[in-house]
Amino acid sequence: MPRRRRVSANDDSTRACSKRARTTVVSSRKSSKLASHHSPLSAFSSKQCITWFHEYTNADEDVIGPEGMEKFCEDIGVEPENIVMLVLAWKLDAKQMGFFTLPEWLKGFSEILCDSVEKVQGKLEYLRSILNDPVQFKSIYRYAFDFARDKDQRSMDIDTAKAMLTLLLGRQWVLYSCFHQFLEQSKYRVINKDQWCNILEFSRTILPDLSNYDVDGAWPVILDEFVDWLKTRQQLHIEVAQM
Amino acid sequence: MSLNNNFLQTLNQAWNDHQTSMVMIRDILMYMDRVYVQQNNVDNVYNLGLMIFRDQVLHHGQIKDHLQQTLLDMVMCERKGEVVDRGAVKNACQMLMVLGIDSRTVYEEDFERPFLHQSAEFFRLESQKFLGENSASVYIKKVEARINEEAERAAHYLDKSTVNPIIGVVEKELICKHMKTIVEMENSGVIHMLKNHKTEDLACMYKLLKRVDGGLEAMSQCVSSYLREQGKALVTESEDVDTKNPINYVQNLLDLKDRFDHFLHESFGDDMKFKQVISSDFEYFLNLNLKSPEYLSLFIDDKLKKGVKGLTEQEVELVLDKTMVLFRFLQEKDVFERYYKQHLAKRLLLNKSVSDDSEKNMISKLKTECGCQFTSKLEGMFKDMTVSNTTMEEFKNHIQAMGSNLSGVDLYVRVLTTGFWPTQASSPKCTIPTTPRQAFEIFKRFYLAKHSGRQLTLQPQLGSADLNATFFGSKKEDGATSTLNKTSSGPRKHIIQVSTYQMCILMLFNQRDKLSYEEIQTETDIGEKDLIRMLQSLALGKLTQRILVKEPKCKEIEPTHIFSVNDQFTSKLHRVKIQAVVAKGESDPERKETRCKVDEDRKHEIEAAIVRIMKARKRMQHNVLVTEVTQQLKSRFLPSPVIIKKRIEGLIEREYLARTPEDRKVYTYVA
Repeated sequence: MPRRRRVSANDDSTRACSKRARTTVVSSRKSSKLASHHSPLSAFSSKQCITWFHEYTNADEDVIGPEGMEKFCEDIGVEPENIVMLVLAWKLDAKQMGFFTLPEWLKGFSEILCDSVEKVQGKLEYLRSILNDPVQFKSIYRYAFDFARDKDQRSMDIDTAKAMLTLLLGRQWVLYSCFHQFLEQSKYRVINKDQWCNILEFSRTILPDLSNYDVDGAWPVILDEFVDWLKTRQQLHIEVAQM
Repeated sequence: MSLNNNFLQTLNQAWNDHQTSMVMIRDILMYMDRVYVQQNNVDNVYNLGLMIFRDQVLHHGQIKDHLQQTLLDMVMCERKGEVVDRGAVKNACQMLMVLGIDSRTVYEEDFERPFLHQSAEFFRLESQKFLGENSASVYIKKVEARINEEAERAAHYLDKSTVNPIIGVVEKELICKHMKTIVEMENSGVIHMLKNHKTEDLACMYKLLKRVDGGLEAMSQCVSSYLREQGKALVTESEDVDTKNPINYVQNLLDLKDRFDHFLHESFGDDMKFKQVISSDFEYFLNLNLKSPEYLSLFIDDKLKKGVKGLTEQEVELVLDKTMVLFRFLQEKDVFERYYKQHLAKRLLLNKSVSDDSEKNMISKLKTECGCQFTSKLEGMFKDMTVSNTTMEEFKNHIQAMGSNLSGVDLYVRVLTTGFWPTQASSPKCTIPTTPRQAFEIFKRFYLAKHSGRQLTLQPQLGSADLNATFFGSKKEDGATSTLNKTSSGPRKHIIQVSTYQMCILMLFNQRDKLSYEEIQTETDIGEKDLIRMLQSLALGKLTQRILVKEPKCKEIEPTHIFSVNDQFTSKLHRVKIQAVVAKGESDPERKETRCKVDEDRKHEIEAAIVRIMKARKRMQHNVLVTEVTQQLKSRFLPSPVIIKKRIEGLIEREYLARTPEDRKVYTYVA
């Protein structure tokens, strides 16, 4: 099968990546015993994966920190805020945003059979496509809460919440920008897990005109307040329009 | 007129003749009647005769119409007040009834239906006339008279079966169609009657409106809106002084209840619907004012204190029972409980209760209403009082044995168990003078030796002291500033009864003659608000209460003002009790604090209820849960669905509950 070149986000970085890939190829040829050409088609090697892991760690540590994470993102040509990174983290089942431990790295990448930058780049489309599956998306969305929150707290602080929600729902939920505004003017400082999960449910079941919103729907109070706020605003807009 | 009479007479005569003849004919043809008629199922002779009479005579040409018109005219005449030949009408009606053979159709068609129609028209006009007189009570009496008249007429000389239909017509035309107008008539309707205590008129109206569908409904609605208006006026905060005075506030409400209970019994015949309406109205406006629970407690407090003016024991009992009726209408019973506890504590500690029995009586009334949970802590307070008595006995024996006399201090200590009594955030500070303080220390040692592991904290905001006071000045003579040599009365001794704070203040004057406010504050360490109150009652009260004097002699107290002992003090009494300047009820900041505490407690109660219910049922839908929780708590307070929802969310967060994955509206209990 011909070697397929994957289009990445940034063409310049692609060149840089392929350079590194070639370097990696060269070095691994020397080190690996198995015949691995390290084309996108070569078999997955745990050992290779682990070696690759250490390119991003400090000294003998078994965890990639924020610095290494930045480098990793650069290598694969994806911005750290890109939603694909979240999907990747979910694949790895990473516990803490900004960090990958070795077990996480190994587990996640062996699942998608990646032990090099190129292979990852090859998988980016696939990772992105996972978001289109509602069931998987829900899983990623829920995962995002625990992933992004401060581990000392049970709840996620409002600014992180706004950022994560923008990332996850910004494009697909019509009412998102309204909800964002609502959060800005509200007195909420944190979002808890129940609220978080229900926001997704709300975005999926309630129509933009709120016509099927039921007061007895056991929605968390924050969403009841959002509806009230929105309705008041809509009413004002109507009144203004009628003037 | 005579023609009509003759007509009826003639007709009646013909009828009688016919009947007589028919009897004879029937007798002659008896065999045929019994055999042929039965076998062939045909009409018998007599009935045949009736039918012939009916068709050939009665319904002949103009006779039918003429008969109808005659009868109707006669009724109309009688209604107008003329005298008519009732017998003739009666005969005619009876004839019609008989001619219907086995039914009343002839009577109905020939007479009754047109009669009812004409009557309806007549009464319609009459109703306008009556209404024109613009008095509801007069109208009612007239209607009642008309009903009686029509009933009597129908019973006497129409057919008895017409009684109900004609009354129905009267009711419809005179009552039904004008219900609202009568009820709401200005200056004579229900409201006027209620305002002016027209019990009998109301009773008449009640009786009248009871006859028709929707009559009582119209009346009760009117009563309800009037009652709500009156009640609302009593509870709404306004320039009206009475809403600030809790005793009057409650008394006014009790009076209003009495008024309406009177109406209920005397005018509305204890009608259940009216009773319900009145109750729901009271519940409505009583809870409009959030201070009702506090005021109700203060009212009861007033009645349980010594010196209840001018009421016998039975009267007090009666008033308290009536107060319990109001209590039942309170939605925020938990707020009442909090205040009742506070007020009871004050009564017990300041020794203001009339008697233990009356207190316990009241508590058992509350227990009947609210169950044991309400009253168990209150009973704990009484226990503390009894135990303290015993402890003091033992203490007295103890110091006797010790041979001490506490430097002349006659000490009485009451030990309060923290859980039972209303708590302060923290005990206020106060520097106790040496002698009493030392006496207390001795008691403290004695007590803690008996109950190791306990802690005793003195509560200076409570308690009182009796001080021996000697005033050296000469009596101030009123009026003449003469220099007459009055026999000097010498130094005067009194016993003054003061609060703990006041004791601390006064004893400073044993060391110094003059003290500024600032100095007093520094020495006693008493909080500003309390200190000012204490000094006001010592220095700025009535002359017979003025133990201290202040320079300058104004009402305000500034830090630099100087206090000294009023050596001119006189009183007829040897033992003088200094009244503290006490506000009835809480100040607004205090009220806010109490409200906060209540809200905190409610959060816990709601959560406890949710957990209790979910633990038992394991799974529950949101709406059902909210309803159950409200139901469980409604004897204490009314939680709103939003608040319950917030608590559910809190419990989800703390992982007591979870939403089921299949249906986010259903919760499960997390073991």
